[in-house]
Amino acid sequence: MKIVVCLKQVPETNQVKLDPVTHNLIRQGLAGRINPFDRHAVQAALDLKAQVGGEVIVLSMGPNDNEYCLREGLAMGADRAILLSARAFAGSDTLATGYTLSQAIRKIGAVDLAFFGRQAVDADTGQVGPIVAEFLGWPQLTLASQLTWTDQGLQGVRRLGALAQTLAVPLPAVVTATRELNDPGYLQPRQIKAGFQQPILTWNEVDLEADPARLGVAGSPTVVRKILAPQTKTVPTQYLNPDPQAAVAELLTALQAKNLL
Amino acid sequence: MTKIPEVWIFAEHQQNQIEPTVLQLISKAQAIAPTFKVVAVLLEAPDQQLEQTLAAYGPDQILAVKQSQLEQVADVEQAMILQQLVQARQPNSFLFGATALGRSLAPRLQAKLQTGLTADCLDLYFEDELLVQVKPSYGDNIMCEITCPERRPQMATVRPNTFAAVPVEADQVCQEIEVLTDLTWPKVAHFDILNEQVIPTPPASLAQADRIVALGRGAADPASVATARQLTAALNAQLGVTRPLTDDPQFAVSNQIGQSGQTVAPELLFCCGISGAVQFLTGITQAQTVVAINSDAQAAIFGVADYGFVGDAKAFMTALNHALLAKNA
Ligand SMILES: Cc1cc2nc3c(=O)[nH]c(=O)nc-3n(C[C@H](O)[C@H](O)[C@H](O)COP(=O)(O)OP(=O)(O)OC[C@H]3O[C@@H](n4cnc5c(N)ncnc54)[C@H](O)[C@@H]3O)c2cc1C
Ligand SMILES: Cc1cc2nc3c(=O)[nH]c(=O)nc-3n(C[C@H](O)[C@H](O)[C@H](O)COP(=O)(O)OP(=O)(O)OC[C@H]3O[C@@H](n4cnc5c(N)ncnc54)[C@H](O)[C@@H]3O)c2cc1C
Repeated sequence: MKIVVCLKQVPETNQVKLDPVTHNLIRQGLAGRINPFDRHAVQAALDLKAQVGGEVIVLSMGPNDNEYCLREGLAMGADRAILLSARAFAGSDTLATGYTLSQAIRKIGAVDLAFFGRQAVDADTGQVGPIVAEFLGWPQLTLASQLTWTDQGLQGVRRLGALAQTLAVPLPAVVTATRELNDPGYLQPRQIKAGFQQPILTWNEVDLEADPARLGVAGSPTVVRKILAPQTKTVPTQYLNPDPQAAVAELLTALQAKNLL
Repeated sequence: MTKIPEVWIFAEHQQNQIEPTVLQLISKAQAIAPTFKVVAVLLEAPDQQLEQTLAAYGPDQILAVKQSQLEQVADVEQAMILQQLVQARQPNSFLFGATALGRSLAPRLQAKLQTGLTADCLDLYFEDELLVQVKPSYGDNIMCEITCPERRPQMATVRPNTFAAVPVEADQVCQEIEVLTDLTWPKVAHFDILNEQVIPTPPASLAQADRIVALGRGAADPASVATARQLTAALNAQLGVTRPLTDDPQFAVSNQIGQSGQTVAPELLFCCGISGAVQFLTGITQAQTVVAINSDAQAAIFGVADYGFVGDAKAFMTALNHALLAKNA
């Protein structure tokens, strides 16, 4: 089975700060790491390969620095890595990202399964997997919390609120991975070292035979027009009597007046 | 005359119940777009009557596709049906709940329509016909405003329990219900549902609770927890906790309020021994009335509290239990 796992590189921490003057994100000192959900996606691909054989390819779109998440995928046991890196890809929203990744999956060819994380922990949309599925015309199983390979093919479980659905998914297909799917464990130093010894193939927009109008900023319908610090509500607080009994009596009267009790 | 812009809301349902976020979105859309036509789009089986639930919240129109194929349907097929409807009627915008289904279906439709989609919005407003979508990123540590200036429809998924659902007066109940029964869509590869199982959840989840007693590290000792449980029983409330308390096996993430737990929207929230960290506060922005109990008068939680008690949490909860017992006796 030929399996592609898409990896996003995200900042090491979500504790981003806004510059109080410019209102831009302060990105300094934000080292990259693999999106945590994508490690579960890689593990799921490796588990399937262990069962049915085949090849696991990790794929990431981003600046050269994204090599880091690909190396982590290789260290976990992926067979090869492809980086999609070009000026033309910069500023992609989810639609343009999905298009670019789908072109790469076409170019890889004969892919049976593409894994994604359920969402990336920075922009947090979870949209890229379903968009790629649509562009490839494949079915999708989002939020997979269990996955098994049987004589009948691929089966998975997803939760829709209180409902657990068991689904049979024909291949080729897209699957997005949740944390419940598996436990990727920690990497050994020798695995990390091995990850750094493998070559990484780089493709640009020409390699992908991509339509330039669908890439990067040009191919992105959404615009992030402002970044703000989160708002918390500030209300005048009515302080209650310091004696608990008196405070409770005061509070109950007030809540009853508001029809809250 | 130019056509009145339409705001569509996908009327997700499950187990023959409309997803509560849908009703919240209908009310919100009416509030932010009073001159637009608010349309609830429902895909249901012929024996279902879910339009009645929707009508009580007063959308201008309900567009219902009622066909037997919709008894069991894959996300991909729903996306194809919605694509047809959108292409025929060209709404200005299309809103989904940011539920598991909404977040699977909306991007699939977005890709078909080659338009923009903003994920997990916490606020929405219109500037003329431009929908401004406010969403958190970096785990709620920043908020950003996203727009889709050129393509239509403008699409967004909206976090559950962000807005209040308000039923309308009897004379405003939706009268315009259009039913389609003969749509066809191409056969495409999709998953088959082998089995569906309802996983029992506690009677009312935190996210849906009208009253919540929340405990933090200042009220985490066994005696305080026991007092709080009495209080939840007396108030018919749910118990919530801050993240540090989930280290205790009696509390799970489903009990945790905040950024990495549940977003709650109760009418009445007691915060006992909770400092008011940002990650906690982002989960309670929709609480209507907040009562804070903390021994530190400087605690940040007082910044969002309607009522404040500076003092011991257990003593306050005990006094409240007594008062409620006396009142109900
Ligand atoms: C603050 C902020 C808010 C944003 N909000 C939106 C928005 O609401 N709508 C929108 O369309 N765009 C938005 N974007 C743009 C979006 O971040 C990019 O399009 C990004 O490329 C996709 O990231 P994501 O976090 O949405 O991915 P998700 O869809 O959450 O990622 C899911 C999975 O897709 C795969 N994946 C994602 N990106 C890549 C990649 N570059 N290479 C390989 N695999 C990948 C991974 O497997 C990942 O686990 C926003 C950007 C910022 C900075
Ligand atoms: C990525 C990330 C995600 C997070 N997500 C969440 C989340 O979803 N939810 C969440 O809650 N936290 C979350 N946190 C943790 C958050 O930052 C805080 O650490 C946490 O909310 C603090 O919990 P607390 O208020 O119970 O404890 P503390 O901050 O320790 O506060 C205890 C309070 O109790 C008061 N107190 C002490 N004794 C008494 C007494 N006898 N009577 C009354 N008051 C008393 C103290 O004055 C103090 O204000 C997250 C953190 C990170 C980094």
